[in-house]
Amino acid sequence: MIDLIHVTKRFGATTAVDDISLSVARGELCVLVGTSGCGKSTTLRMINRLIEHSEGEIHIDGQQIRAFREETLRRRMGYAIQSTGLFPHWTVARNIGLVPRLLKWPAAKVQARVEELMALLGLSMEEFAGKYPHQLSGGQAQRVGVARALAADPDILLMDEPFGALDPITRESLQEELRELQARLHKTIVFVTHDMDEALRLADHLVVMHQGRIVQQGRPLELLREPADGFVESLLGGEDRGLKEAALLPVSQRMRPLGAQSPADERIGQHVSLREALSVMLWRHAERLTVVDDDGQPVGELSLRRLVGARSDD
Amino acid sequence: MTELRRWAVPLGWLVLLLAATLGMGQLEGLFRWIEADSRQVIYARADFATLLGRHLLVVSVAAVLAILVGVGAAIAATRRWGRDFLPLVSQLASIGQTFPPVAVLALAVPVLGFGTLPIIVALLLYGLLPIVRNTLAGLEGIDPGVMEAARGMGMSGGQILRQVELPLAAPVILAGIRTSVTINIATAAIGATVGASNLGDPIISGIVNGNTAYVVQGALLIGLLAISVDSLFSRLPLAGAR
Amino acid sequence: MRPENPGPNVVLLSLSLVALAAWLGLDTVSVAANRIVPGTGHGVADVIGVAGALVSGVPWLALAGFAWRPTSRRFALALALVVLMLSALPAWLALSAVTLVDSAQARLGIGAGIWVVLFLLLLVMIELRSRLVLSRPIGWALLLPPVVSAGLCLSLWLEPLALWQEYRGRSGQFLGAVVEHLLLVGVAVGTSLVLGVLLALAMRRWPGVQKAGFGVLNFLQTIPSIALFGLLLAPLAWLSANVEWLAALGVSGIGWAPALLALVGYSLLPMVRNTFVALEAVDPGVIDAARGMGMSRGQVFRQVRLPLALPVILEGIRITTVQAIGLTAVAALIGAGGLGTFIFQGLGQAAMDLVLLGALPILVMALLVDALLGALTDVLRPGGAK
Repeated sequence: MIDLIHVTKRFGATTAVDDISLSVARGELCVLVGTSGCGKSTTLRMINRLIEHSEGEIHIDGQQIRAFREETLRRRMGYAIQSTGLFPHWTVARNIGLVPRLLKWPAAKVQARVEELMALLGLSMEEFAGKYPHQLSGGQAQRVGVARALAADPDILLMDEPFGALDPITRESLQEELRELQARLHKTIVFVTHDMDEALRLADHLVVMHQGRIVQQGRPLELLREPADGFVESLLGGEDRGLKEAALLPVSQRMRPLGAQSPADERIGQHVSLREALSVMLWRHAERLTVVDDDGQPVGELSLRRLVGARSDD
Repeated sequence: MTELRRWAVPLGWLVLLLAATLGMGQLEGLFRWIEADSRQVIYARADFATLLGRHLLVVSVAAVLAILVGVGAAIAATRRWGRDFLPLVSQLASIGQTFPPVAVLALAVPVLGFGTLPIIVALLLYGLLPIVRNTLAGLEGIDPGVMEAARGMGMSGGQILRQVELPLAAPVILAGIRTSVTINIATAAIGATVGASNLGDPIISGIVNGNTAYVVQGALLIGLLAISVDSLFSRLPLAGAR
Repeated sequence: MRPENPGPNVVLLSLSLVALAAWLGLDTVSVAANRIVPGTGHGVADVIGVAGALVSGVPWLALAGFAWRPTSRRFALALALVVLMLSALPAWLALSAVTLVDSAQARLGIGAGIWVVLFLLLLVMIELRSRLVLSRPIGWALLLPPVVSAGLCLSLWLEPLALWQEYRGRSGQFLGAVVEHLLLVGVAVGTSLVLGVLLALAMRRWPGVQKAGFGVLNFLQTIPSIALFGLLLAPLAWLSANVEWLAALGVSGIGWAPALLALVGYSLLPMVRNTFVALEAVDPGVIDAARGMGMSRGQVFRQVRLPLALPVILEGIRITTVQAIGLTAVAALIGAGGLGTFIFQGLGQAAMDLVLLGALPILVMALLVDALLGALTDVLRPGGAK
């Protein structure tokens, strides 16, 4: 879907992005992560030509991005940024309808699309449509920003630290919503962040950048298990990696069928992460948990030994 | 050396001003060319140095008073005991800005009569406004966190004012004083029409008698004075960018 | 702000007491036998006697009383009282005219007492308006009764009022001067608006123009108006003497040409500065988003940058216009006409009421323009943003 082939960006004498190659498959959520100044934002902005790349090629669906007019290219991609970039002189509804109007959709269709998107992002039409951006909370404004990016139903969504300025609780719930949206809409998303937890939680494909280069890319678990070098390892949290990995795995992966033993008193859902299961064990002083399905029926059990990944049990 | 370079521009203007003041008579040939028909081409009712002196005196007396009163009033209105006056003072300062200086000067005359005193009072009143407004803006614009920290460290009200508030607000206050003085140099010249004798004299007299040379002489000196003073202000270490 | 304030409102209290002192202590009117001789002042007691003077202090004390234990109800009552007192001032002049003026040549002057009281009452009104959080239009509507009262008194009883006599002696000339004044201001501001916007756009494109432009305009602004008018005199006189079509247009060293030139020169700086800053200060995030959404350059400018900058640009027009109104008064010195003519004529003849006839309308004009453009700026600020 999106291919960067030996792409380099120079600003004068400094090289901001240095010979990177990257492929994002259709429907994949690709997260670029790294410290500030590593070139991740520049990479993102080269995809919609807000910054022109100096060398190499960038393809969308196999076509060079330079084959398109800049504006046409951008209208095909959603774009959401940290400061939301909502137009302060326009209402929420008008902000969301921006790109469809740029694409000259008929007014009724724009209106219908705005309503649909506001419903999708849990913004009540009556309450928010006529409000101005400065009347919104940070989380609401960011939802509007995402809605605006999705407005023309683009295949590709570019997001530059969209949740960076939010408090942790709002941020987590928006991350959750983004995952759900992604599961339903199957957009191809390129997402830039400096927050490794956010990256691990969201990414199908994780790209770690450092000093303008890609130091490692792959599935989050692969990176956790085999960091390419000390930099990736420290970015992933060093000794904290165990917990981060546990957070990515569901209980169902490590549970075993119910045995002859009487079931443990403490229960836990099968889709909950291992990290949460560990926390429950610590808190309840329990070495065994009964795993239940969505209806509360026991389907297996999880012991501390299995949780930590020991091969043999008991 | 760098110190000297910093002051080079205002010094240059000052030297030019002094040279023009003292050497105006030497330029007789030039003025003769401008005003070929008149018998006399150099303003002679008073010498230019005296006019410059009077001009400076009026402006500086008014400026010193305006700074004392204006900064004082703004400080008072931002203290806890004077807070009640703050909305009124700030509204007054912003409404007063719309009063044209000429109108203020003209209105001072019926009340105070002709001469130097009404000029000083009018300049004082008009010069107050930018100073009050900027001092208020400077004091109100200080990061509340800084004030909080200063109080939290146990500084007294007076210590906070002297060591924190005034130094932080200084660039804004100074910009207000600069505006005030610049406007007043111009307004004082118009004061020549109400009987004050200063650099406005040659201009008025030239216009009345149709002698362009007089007008140019007065205009040149006032222009140089204004530019010298403005350039001095812009080099003061605290003066922020306009 | 704090409608239910338990303590006394110090501002209102001190203003009303000072006003009371001014009312009783200063001359409210003066009477002169004719236009030339200075008048003799008369206090309140000269008009209505000592007992009457004491009674006339009651409204002031009432005002102070409302301030002592303020509630929003009392503030509202105080505001009504202030409007009433403002409306009573012209009536007071009328009463003085009837009691003190006996001959047809005699003229009634407005004394320092009335001016001070008027000023203080307006301050009280501003204070009350902000305490009661009244909107702008209501604030202006409150001035209506005093204006109507003044008009009524002028047409019925205030024939001896010196200011009124000066006006009636030259009502045609007065109208002409107002028109001239407005025309000069309008043309100067209009020209500098067009030039200013173009210059600001050029500055945004070429940084070199920005540096040079601001340098020149800042320099120009420091030269006092009277000096600039004077300095333009010589070259324009030379031009009109040597270039025929300019002379045919009416350009000369004296008159509207140097005035307009200088006015435009002064007006450019505030105009360019505000336009430039307004366009530059638009949140870069918003512009980035607009471009990222696929808006073309023209669309970004017209739909995003310009509307967001508009309130600040209007602010520039407001500052410029108010400044031009004052400067045009000075331009009368070089024969450009306008209301300044009356000021300088009056100063020359020591006829103070003629000075007032020029200065008061200028003041009113400046305040009106300020208020109108301020209101317009508020209207154009969507949703109270920024």
